[in-house]
Amino acid sequence: MRGKVAVIGVGMIKFGELFEKSLENMIQEAYLNCLKNVDKGIDPKEIKAAWFGQWSGGFIGQGAQSGHSLTSMIGKREIPCTRLENACPTGGDTFRHACLGVASGLYDVVLALGAEKMRDKPSAESLGGAGGGGGAETGNHPAWMIGQGGPAIQAMHATRQMHELGYTMEDFARVAVKNHHNGTFCPYAHYQFEVTLERVLNSPVICWPLHLFDCCPQTDGAAAAIVCRADLAKKYTDKPVYVLGSNVGTDHHQLWDRNSFVEQQSTVKAARGAFEMAGMKPKDVDFAELHDCFTNTELMNIEDVGFVRKGEAARRLKDGEFDMHGRLPINPSGGLKAHGHPIAATGLGQVFEVVTQLREEADKRQVKLKNGIGLQHNVGGPAFGVSVVNILSRSP
Amino acid sequence: MTQPAPASPVFWRFNPEVFRLIGIKCKDCSHISYPRTMICHECGSQKLEEYQLPKKGTVHTFCVNWAPPPQFEPPIMPVIVDLEGGGRYQGLMTEFGAPEDVKIGAKVEMVLRKLTTDRGLNVYGYKFRLVEE
Repeated sequence: MRGKVAVIGVGMIKFGELFEKSLENMIQEAYLNCLKNVDKGIDPKEIKAAWFGQWSGGFIGQGAQSGHSLTSMIGKREIPCTRLENACPTGGDTFRHACLGVASGLYDVVLALGAEKMRDKPSAESLGGAGGGGGAETGNHPAWMIGQGGPAIQAMHATRQMHELGYTMEDFARVAVKNHHNGTFCPYAHYQFEVTLERVLNSPVICWPLHLFDCCPQTDGAAAAIVCRADLAKKYTDKPVYVLGSNVGTDHHQLWDRNSFVEQQSTVKAARGAFEMAGMKPKDVDFAELHDCFTNTELMNIEDVGFVRKGEAARRLKDGEFDMHGRLPINPSGGLKAHGHPIAATGLGQVFEVVTQLREEADKRQVKLKNGIGLQHNVGGPAFGVSVVNILSRSP
Repeated sequence: MTQPAPASPVFWRFNPEVFRLIGIKCKDCSHISYPRTMICHECGSQKLEEYQLPKKGTVHTFCVNWAPPPQFEPPIMPVIVDLEGGGRYQGLMTEFGAPEDVKIGAKVEMVLRKLTTDRGLNVYGYKFRLVEE
């Protein structure tokens, strides 16, 4: 697939508590923004297939969603469309499937769109529906699953990171400080305010050792991308962005089957495969959008993708290496910490950021490009056993 | 938020694992797991045997959950325990004085406790408590 697929347009909406907008409102807005973003213009009729990212479906009251939910909402019932749910990587994997659609030779132009309404219900219900939040069930026996949702699972990683790697709660909090700072420059972020180390550490404890500001917020949002055959890209845009690597990595479904809690094998495998496809190494990447659902998770991701060795991320963060103008900017958009995590929209929002940065259209949050290569990453699901990595580039 | 009801198939299906602590051990890679399975989650082997999980072990990792599901009084403490002889079990701590008493490496044992009440029925299972040394 390397170099065969190009992104010609991206679009998203401002993430937030969008009580005034329905799922359909958000989808249409993201789709229209995406069409407008194709700078030489595109006739919607040229889009020949779509993949629809939607994580929560029926279980938090959005009603059952399927492929036709998207095509009917955007008036394109003439094309095939499949709904995709793959836990927190749903957005990144929806993008990957659109790319596979083009790379297979079946379709020239494909839409990937992800949308999620998380805020119509209280957090405990919207996350609890999938075993998240402070924790509920995952359809497994409650003897094992009580109180073991997303925050608890990542907190158990954090405890182990402190034990094995010597990380501290200050180290975790620095991720929040950095990402909230970056988020103040992003007009699409849910939260656009600074936090200090003290504020993070003095915020309520959700799951020790994680505080409220170590967790990303619950958010509504939608984001989209249009991809096409690389050799056709210049017809639609002067600034195509090429897909060089794309992969999904999987690991155990149950926490007790896993070996290490300072490393997520799902991310390790996703990154390894994506770099192999791209014929690149982590050092070739200029910046990355990594899945910071919790602050400790970002440190783990930086190591698991292969940017630094295990145990080094905290020190390098402290040294400023991952700042917006550091050696390797991590989450220049502000990440999930500032944007929130509308599950299926999250990964496509990151794709939006990577493409915008590579086109040097990121305004006040523009990072410096050397090789013109950016990376997008999600990880999640039960036991954080599924991850996606997409590597994008200015040149084919 | 919907837990499986105590009378649901989930409960009787996992009885051997939850109450008698029957797991499986892989004859090829020695991976220990539960519920019992026909294919090893670690290596894919089909050569498996039933394995009696021990009740004792040490804390591998834990957290202190101050935002538990509504029916629980915070804090609750989920733990993952390295069982004696291999394998891990996951559950809640019980009978700890202060959360600070629980540390990685602390010796623990399983005790049968009421986990919760659901639709008027009690739900039982094993919890972990610290072992006096």
